[in-house]
Amino acid sequence: MKQFSVNGSIYAADTAGVCSALYELGGMTIVHDASGCNSTYSTHDEPRWYDRESMIYISALTERDAVTGDDEKLIGDVCEAAARLKPNFVCLCASPMPAMIGTDMDYIAAGIESRTGIPAFAVRTNGIGTYQKGASDAFRAVSRRFCARETEKTPKTVNLLGLTPLDLPAGADETLKALLRAHGYTVQASLGMGGAFDDLPKLAGASVSLVTSGCGLAAARDLYERFGVPYVTAFPVYGKYAELVCSLLATAALTGKCVDACTMRPGRGVNAVAGEGVTGGSLAAALAMETGEGWDLIAPVEGDPSPTLPFDLRPLTDDETRLAMGRYERVVADPLYAPICPPRTKLIELPHVAYSGRCFLRRAPDALTRAGFETILESVK
Amino acid sequence: MIKIAIYGKGGIGKSTVTSHLAAAFAAMGKRVVQIGCDPKADSTMNLLGGRPLTPVMDLLRDGAEPERLDQISATGFGGVVCIETGGPTPGLGCAGRGIIATFQLLEELDLFGVVKPDVVLYDVLGDVVCGGFAAPIREGYASQVLIVTSGEKMALYAANNINTAVEQFAGRGYARVRGVVLNRRNVPDEEAKVRAFAERIGRPVVADIPRSDEINLYEEQGQTAVQGDPALPVSRRFFALAELLLREADA
Repeated sequence: MKQFSVNGSIYAADTAGVCSALYELGGMTIVHDASGCNSTYSTHDEPRWYDRESMIYISALTERDAVTGDDEKLIGDVCEAAARLKPNFVCLCASPMPAMIGTDMDYIAAGIESRTGIPAFAVRTNGIGTYQKGASDAFRAVSRRFCARETEKTPKTVNLLGLTPLDLPAGADETLKALLRAHGYTVQASLGMGGAFDDLPKLAGASVSLVTSGCGLAAARDLYERFGVPYVTAFPVYGKYAELVCSLLATAALTGKCVDACTMRPGRGVNAVAGEGVTGGSLAAALAMETGEGWDLIAPVEGDPSPTLPFDLRPLTDDETRLAMGRYERVVADPLYAPICPPRTKLIELPHVAYSGRCFLRRAPDALTRAGFETILESVK
Repeated sequence: MIKIAIYGKGGIGKSTVTSHLAAAFAAMGKRVVQIGCDPKADSTMNLLGGRPLTPVMDLLRDGAEPERLDQISATGFGGVVCIETGGPTPGLGCAGRGIIATFQLLEELDLFGVVKPDVVLYDVLGDVVCGGFAAPIREGYASQVLIVTSGEKMALYAANNINTAVEQFAGRGYARVRGVVLNRRNVPDEEAKVRAFAERIGRPVVADIPRSDEINLYEEQGQTAVQGDPALPVSRRFFALAELLLREADA
């Protein structure tokens, strides 16, 4: 409700979150909309768009179809396309128009599944919510749908959950696999970048999950509740913090208890990181470890489910964000926060795709790598 | 849990029937939720001593972001949890979307988990005119529909439209029409007309509510006749309907 901005950007929509989450799983993802959100998603929110194919579609909803409630047209179109494309699944999500008129997306998904035999489901979106909700619900939906049976836990295996390029650097899956391999772990299954449809049933058999963004939390909780897979919530920023996260993975696997490592930070500091809760909180923790200074989190994504500390701030409007940033000497945030950041606070630019799209991708340091984190450290000095 | 949506022509007495049925269930010791799905927002008034309840849409319009059920509900006669969706500013916005938005809010606030009701009654505006007004009969909400009608031609016409609309959704796993409630207006051959209609659509007349001055009398006191005098013949009709629905649920 409070989601508006006069001076800054806005975070990617829930529909973009769904598409981003499912991009690499070989399914058809259809946004039920006229067409506008297609270009928004492909040109702004999806860095993989020109490098890697995915079956992301827009339904080409017309006013006539909307006002007459012609659900059959969408069902027919998807069935026809699915017969040719043979996707692993079909996922539907609604833009504002079908959400406003109460289109029954679950019914449409059920109709597609009954006619094609292809698993189909809907993720509840309205094109107004944030990418975190869309991605989070999409990850949980595939986890629940395609990982239904308990399997024996394999020691030293990790699920990587919540790896969308909206929050994480491109190639984060490979960097994380290398990190985990160096600590004796293998990746069991991934939700997000590097994910494979055939690996989804294996999610239940990992000894622990690593939740790298708030988008992965709902699926992590689901896997914990259904199969007892504990999880560590952290974006393993290079260096001491990554070492800490790897040791916490072992602890969580051993004890079966979940750990929030993105809140392992000292008390109120004079610096802050503004952004998504898990990646931002983890970067704040890593910066605190490396600089010896206090770093807080400003979490401006509406509904962000990430764990926070009592003194962290959750502004939702430009004014609230300006006040929040004004409490600190330095704030690490996306460059598009510049018009909001008060002059007395030093803005240290760190691009965030979910906020500025691909505008600053080329100068975005990858905090998971030595070179990237050293760049960030240098910039905060 | 019994979950019933009550539909019928505008002004036919849906809110009267719904609130009397809610009161009957409550008097029988059941935990009841009544959700008015009408911009008029007067469905639950007679369970609340005649006091209108601030509708959810009014709260949202004023910028509120409810986080607890007690911020959007009130407890009425017999512990009935009362909620009104309300509607947008007349002539603006979308009333159907208002119902959807309210239902999503109720899900977020875990209405069923928190209240753990035995009975949920949805009092729905007039007709199934769009997706929003079909929301109460979707999976997870009501599982049965009661159609309220008199023997008047236009009431029966609306009742037939409602039945047709609900039956169109039969393949979607939506609620099904359980029966017809005859709310008498004392028009000629009323019972025969309504029974003929019910027979034609293949559904029973589950209650025959006589025209009653006592209902108006107790409404003026801000209560239902069930609360005012449970022994009245009209009150007993509502108890009989509640018993019928409970027996079926138990079976």
